[in-house]
Amino acid sequence: MPDDTEQELRDRLQLIETMIAEGRAHTENWGWAFVLWGLVYYAALAWTAWNHSAWAWPVTVIIGVAVTVIVASSKAADHPMTTLARAVGSIWIALGVSMFPLFFALGMSGRLTDGHLFAAVISAMLGLANGASSILLRWKVQLASAIVWWATAVVECFVSNAKSTIVFLVAIFLCQILFGVYGMIVGGQQRKPRVPAHA
Amino acid sequence: MPDLPELNPLVHSRLRLALLSLLSGVDHAEFTWLRAKTQATDGNLGAQLLKLEEAGYVGVEKKFVSRKPQSVYRITDSGRQALAEYVQSIKKLLNLGPPVT
Repeated sequence: MPDDTEQELRDRLQLIETMIAEGRAHTENWGWAFVLWGLVYYAALAWTAWNHSAWAWPVTVIIGVAVTVIVASSKAADHPMTTLARAVGSIWIALGVSMFPLFFALGMSGRLTDGHLFAAVISAMLGLANGASSILLRWKVQLASAIVWWATAVVECFVSNAKSTIVFLVAIFLCQILFGVYGMIVGGQQRKPRVPAHA
Repeated sequence: MPDLPELNPLVHSRLRLALLSLLSGVDHAEFTWLRAKTQATDGNLGAQLLKLEEAGYVGVEKKFVSRKPQSVYRITDSGRQALAEYVQSIKKLLNLGPPVT
């Protein structure tokens, strides 16, 4: 076989490998969603501290869901759906669907009186979602975030009322705001120019 | 002299090969994403996708999202098989892998 033909065939194999990897690469950046939900939690906590309204969490969460759906829909239009993205997305959708009716019902029934328990359950559930996502994505930073949430869930069971709020606020800052900003920075760095495939 | 496999001409085109490879790594993908990844022009990309569609290698779903037309492509089973056979043929030509059975 002539050398140029052999080189062309090797180029074709390289092109196939590159393009398959491009498709499978986790191109979507969800850092913004972590920051958004950190702000949602802060807003709900501030509203609750202000007048102890039972509507604080439902209203802020509904606004958070609406903003998330709108932004995610606009971003998703230009991104392919991969099996991995669907698996990770399903974890977070299931988390939201589990949390909202549970806490809404507990709040409306007046049974959500123990702030420690509330923070501990939320932390454990967020630890579960972050932990599962980190295993799927093989992302150690997100695993660290999950560990912080799990630790928060345990600590919330033992600390005083005053410290409970502080611990929860710190966990939100570390695992939502800081991790979200980090995710946005990493996602931005991954968007590099691609090799043309049409020549 | 051993029989050398023929390379499928529909798959062998560089852009069509790139498109099949891209689509094999995702569940589905939008036209603009394929354009960004291949850096092809709208006309060329549309023409090559049409050839793949006519060959039954890709499927297309056209819809409107926020009043904007959107074409979503996905590789079919025949497209996946054609790509696999093409890879096997190249490997056989390069003596990199087992012969195609």
